[in-house]
Amino acid sequence: MSVRQMNRRAALQSATAMIALPFLESFGFRRFAAAAETVAPPKRIAFLGFGWGVTEESFFPDMKTPGADYELPLGLKPLERHKADFSVIQGLRNKYSVEGHAGSTWWLSGANPYAEPGQSYCNTISADQVAATQFGPYTRFSSLQFNHSEGGDRSGHGPGLSLAWDASGKPIGGENGPLQAYHKLFSKDTVPLEQRRLLIEQKRSVLDTVLENARSLQRGLGKNDNQKLDEYFDSIRQIETGLAKGEKWMDRPRPEAPFGAPSATVQGRDEIKLMYDLMVAAFQTDSTRVITYRQPVATLLTSIGNKVAPHDMSHYHSTRGEKLACSQLRDRTQTELLAGLIDKLKATQESDGSSLFDNLVLAYGSNIRTGHDLTNCPTLITGGGAGLKLGHNIVVQEDTPLCNAWLTMLQGIGVQTDSHGDSTGIVKELRA
Amino acid sequence: MPLFTGVDPALCEYTALQGRKRLLRTRIESTRQASPGAVELLYTAVNSPHLASCTSMVFARFVSHPDRTAVTFRPITSTCQNENLRLGLQIALSYVTDGHYNSSCLYIVCPLLSVLPLDCDHLRSQLASSPSNMRRFMKKNTLRHLSALLLLLVSAQAAVAEESPQPPVAKIHADQLALLQQHCVDCHGADNAEAGFRVDTLPLALSDVATAARWQKVLNALNSGEMPPEGEPELEKAAKADFLDHLANVLVDARDILADQGGVITMRRLNRREYKNTLRELLGVDVVVADLPSDRSSRTFDTDGSSLYMSSTQFEQYMALAREAINEAREWEQARGVEKSLRFETEEVTEKVRAHIAYQIDAKQRATEWTTLVDEAVADPENAEIVARIKAGPLGSHRHIFYRNWKQFPGVPAPEEFGFRTNENNADKAIAALNPFHQPYHEYYLQQPAVEQGAYFAAANEHPSVLDTQTINLLVPFSWPVGDYVVRFRAAKTDDATPDRCYIEFGLNPRSQQAMSSHEINGTMENPQIVEFPLKLTRANNERAVRSMYLREKGTRDDWNQATGVAREGRAQNNGIGRTFSLWVDWFEIERVPEGDKPRAPGIIALETIPLTAPDKKPTDDELRDTFKAFASEAFRGAEPTDAYIEQLVQIYRSYRSTGSSHQEAYTESLAVILSSPMFLYLSEPLDENESRSLTDRELAIRLSYFLWGAPPDKTLLELAEQGVLSKPDVLSAQTTRLLNDPRSRDFVDALTYQWLGLERLDFFQVNLDHHPRFDNSTRLAAKNEIYETVNHLVVNNSKLSDLLNSDYVVINGVLANYYGIEGVDGDHYRKVTVPPDSPRGGLLGMASVHLMGSNGDHTSPVERGAWVLRKLLNDPPPPAPANVPQLARLSDQLLTTEQRLTAHQEDPQCASCHRKIDPIGFGLENFDAVGAWRTEDSYQLHDDNGKAIKDKKIVWTIDPAVKLHNGPAVNNYFELREAIATHDDDFARGWTEALIQYALGRRVGFTDERLITDIMNEARGQDYAVRSFIHALVNSQEFQSK
Repeated sequence: MSVRQMNRRAALQSATAMIALPFLESFGFRRFAAAAETVAPPKRIAFLGFGWGVTEESFFPDMKTPGADYELPLGLKPLERHKADFSVIQGLRNKYSVEGHAGSTWWLSGANPYAEPGQSYCNTISADQVAATQFGPYTRFSSLQFNHSEGGDRSGHGPGLSLAWDASGKPIGGENGPLQAYHKLFSKDTVPLEQRRLLIEQKRSVLDTVLENARSLQRGLGKNDNQKLDEYFDSIRQIETGLAKGEKWMDRPRPEAPFGAPSATVQGRDEIKLMYDLMVAAFQTDSTRVITYRQPVATLLTSIGNKVAPHDMSHYHSTRGEKLACSQLRDRTQTELLAGLIDKLKATQESDGSSLFDNLVLAYGSNIRTGHDLTNCPTLITGGGAGLKLGHNIVVQEDTPLCNAWLTMLQGIGVQTDSHGDSTGIVKELRA
Repeated sequence: MPLFTGVDPALCEYTALQGRKRLLRTRIESTRQASPGAVELLYTAVNSPHLASCTSMVFARFVSHPDRTAVTFRPITSTCQNENLRLGLQIALSYVTDGHYNSSCLYIVCPLLSVLPLDCDHLRSQLASSPSNMRRFMKKNTLRHLSALLLLLVSAQAAVAEESPQPPVAKIHADQLALLQQHCVDCHGADNAEAGFRVDTLPLALSDVATAARWQKVLNALNSGEMPPEGEPELEKAAKADFLDHLANVLVDARDILADQGGVITMRRLNRREYKNTLRELLGVDVVVADLPSDRSSRTFDTDGSSLYMSSTQFEQYMALAREAINEAREWEQARGVEKSLRFETEEVTEKVRAHIAYQIDAKQRATEWTTLVDEAVADPENAEIVARIKAGPLGSHRHIFYRNWKQFPGVPAPEEFGFRTNENNADKAIAALNPFHQPYHEYYLQQPAVEQGAYFAAANEHPSVLDTQTINLLVPFSWPVGDYVVRFRAAKTDDATPDRCYIEFGLNPRSQQAMSSHEINGTMENPQIVEFPLKLTRANNERAVRSMYLREKGTRDDWNQATGVAREGRAQNNGIGRTFSLWVDWFEIERVPEGDKPRAPGIIALETIPLTAPDKKPTDDELRDTFKAFASEAFRGAEPTDAYIEQLVQIYRSYRSTGSSHQEAYTESLAVILSSPMFLYLSEPLDENESRSLTDRELAIRLSYFLWGAPPDKTLLELAEQGVLSKPDVLSAQTTRLLNDPRSRDFVDALTYQWLGLERLDFFQVNLDHHPRFDNSTRLAAKNEIYETVNHLVVNNSKLSDLLNSDYVVINGVLANYYGIEGVDGDHYRKVTVPPDSPRGGLLGMASVHLMGSNGDHTSPVERGAWVLRKLLNDPPPPAPANVPQLARLSDQLLTTEQRLTAHQEDPQCASCHRKIDPIGFGLENFDAVGAWRTEDSYQLHDDNGKAIKDKKIVWTIDPAVKLHNGPAVNNYFELREAIATHDDDFARGWTEALIQYALGRRVGFTDERLITDIMNEARGQDYAVRSFIHALVNSQEFQSK
């Protein structure tokens, strides 16, 4: 007998029992918090991925000058004012990655694409989702997956719908572009409370109905097809959990939007900037504690007036010239945007007077270094939330698993896990 | 055996054959299946003394059949050395005739070209006849110039023993180990395995994921240059390249084999395309499905069930789209029969031009009056100090600086008093009015004939908000309902219309870069023509932008850069006045076509009892039950929902009503649930105990219609299924033909073509219009359509598949004919046009869009082109671009031709292992520029690291298309290259067959499909590779008809 043949409500009840009361947004909490001692703000984690890598000659600090006393290379110059706020880690890679055109698919999982016989490629859970399993119950959204608004994969990310992959290695979809992200976060529900309860009940009966249909379809299906239908059951179950969560959150209004709805046509640099603003807003309102963002590269180039095709740009080596110039301009623009994000994170105050920056850890990078090169993956880590050493040019042993860095981050913010992907331990040099 | 050092001619032959091994392997496999038992490969060499020294070992490696023991290699004779082909053929045939072997097919393996399978009986009759026949045969197969030929005869002896077929295993050739032995084992051997990695124990057979991973490590280490480490001897370059080539290909084979799903078809949900089509067939509506994942990927087909996932977000999107579809259907029902029409008489534009000129004259007058006052104040000695101060300030020497600082002069009136109101510096409008730059152009406009009856398209001049003479716009009133409309306009071309300037673009949203269609105008001012085409308006056309229709001259408004460039050029060519007018429009109109007795969609008919349009119906539970049941059964393609399900739907309806929803809201919601249920979303075929079984007739109907229409079966198909006759071969064949003849098959053509030929690069980049002005957006669209239209032409006419490799015709419309410089093609529809033998057009390699894909929109990319030809035309895909190959930057500051640069790149064996095969093909196509126009010259400009062009660092060269293909023939030009590629019609057909199987069955094609592939190809070969013969053979196959 399969799980879904159990009493669904019973399963659901036990599931919802685990959903803790959200505390930051609650009025009750505020009243309580004012009287009691300050509660430490929650930890957050974020991953920002750009597909086509960087310009290897001008992005990485000199490996011969590890430590805090190093010179910022051209590509990191825009981060000058934040030099003490981030570390560059050199020598990391995903050892199984062999796809020169996939900067994101296996970036956060370190999975072996060919591990499963009978599949053309496969994946495993991404680091952000590991954090989401633990932090998810406390917020309206377990995690948010921001994604670029481009069509097709022109930005060198490889297969996937976002940077995130679930526990069974299936791609997780997300918000494509700022407008979708904005609505997800701030769309107001104007329906009165009582009616919303009814609506949730109605949604439940809708789910009951499609499940009835799914069960009658399930009868007689072969093993393989049954597994396929499981995806449908899973998605319904997820909605149910969402509804249960929605019930808990119902009497708490959505946070106020800090700015108006963005235009649907914004792309490239402005899109990234807006998404960063939305990330800060999502963290600030504690709508979620886990965010990934698969950034646009192709439209970024167009938006800064560059006509070089994105993939061509990443192969600047043989001709240099305009392709190299474009690649370096891309680095600078991306780093400038990151510097702006760090400004915002530091300027955002938390309930205890610390800044959002102090309670967050963020990784910024790609599975591709440059061209088709998948070694020494560009990796920047920032944020004071995980107790990591910032302000350093950290050179680790060549080919250290990238997952070691993810594990260090996860443990640093209190995620209970001993390993991730192909990790062999934490990156000791990264601990403060 | 030192096979991989030096240039042993035998080795050359051998490596040439390597590329063909897959096909031969297939043949061996099919021969074995046809008559189980050992297979013998008999071979003989013709005209090649070197091959006599080839041992059977060479063949063993060459064929690399997994089951070596089952294949033996035997030389037939060596006496035909230096003899002619005819003799060789006769010797080979005598073995068949003698009856020792049964084989119906003889293979000629030409080292440089291909494997030619020949019908033995046919060949025998050819040989028996005259020498001229033989010459013709050789000519047809382009054998005449080849000095070295090798004959192979695959035959099967009578069955020796029953064997069950084993799954194939990809293997590394034992000989390749020598290289590893020599260079690696010292460190990675038993005694001292560095990094814990042993090379000496690596199994040759990549029979599991772990072994494949170990070999991948070897490949990675060699590619990245990590191994051999510094200080150790380097590998010899050619040997390394060969080894990498071999290893990369074996790994690809191994991955394919290990990923083989053994023919299992996974149940799948409707992909985005099918979902949209299914809603259209069910409800008669078109909804925008852009929010759903596209389901297209470069790895699999969008029908591959195992890659079609479902998520909770998606479920919610399905609910939302279903509501939208039902609302759309309701509006169409409500609008049934509505008639509307609206005509815009374009001479209104003339009035605007006239008014604008009057305004300009008046404004200049007023501006002059005002500036005179300022001038006087400046000249007044009393103001000398003010004048001096302004001159010393910012922009002091600007000619309008005093006007902008008018406020400082006492007594000068404000420009507002002369009618210039603005929020910015209020002098600027007056200053601008002093110089009405475009006024002569407006006056020129008014001088044109027939301006009182119509309008011309002007080049970019005033801002459109001031005067819009560049587009002719018509807003569809917001009160007009959804529906099928007809758009018409009456137009003529003027005497100034050059061949490039007689196309009118139509589209929605005058600012959009991409027009929806372009129309050739051949009507004259004396005898204008009326252009008419359909336009569907849906609920999605809800904003001004998407209700504003426009007409404009093609190639003048793709973007602002182009628009101003065209205007500038036009002024220069017309005495500085402005661009001449080539097109005139009399009127522009839109009309709603009433539905008349157009039949309703089946889903709408199912809702008869409670029509969608009924405003506040109070249905009984029974009515609801019957309606939901009828609708669900229609939506579920004939599958019956359970009573409990229907009951729950009724409850949902009631629950919505009880919470204050209107009847229509509750009804819509309930129906949306049906359209989000798995029985609608999934194409399911139940299976008992995981045993394969034949499809039921209903399942067959569904599989067939989703294959050929991407949509549910229609009534005819379902009725035949219900009668249980659909699976009868003649009925099935007739239905296949009917479905292919139906316009709905266009979805099959478009979706399959896109995925089979990998057309995603068509939309990847902007074309640099400065460098390629003729390839404007509408031309680009037409060029893109050429591919689909050509494949569609083949399907409609059941033409030869190989026409795509080389043909004496093209399928084009007026726009493309003009672009290609082909005379005598007028109008907007695509049609077959014969081209002369010396035309580069004809076949995929002659198409502009194919070359655009092999570029970056500005410059060509021989690598992209070569790789595409290998992947798609020769069915010999290079392995994926390896990771971590060191980049070569040494050449970046040198002035080299494209070919020199790329060839120099090949000095690294890591690069050479693939690029020696890829690049030459691309070089042979260099006569096509980035947008597929023919050229004879190319250039390269060196840029500094800031991207600026360096002076005097530019070279221009004449393109030399003569190339030697890797292990292939030397060709002198594009035409010979195209011919050489066209001899690979077998390989091409195989690629098409594999694509068809994947697309139709919704799974990856695996090594278990060899027999199916062979059967289909044999069947099709008998019909000269007519495209439909493949489709019929597939539909007839057991695989297509089983779960």
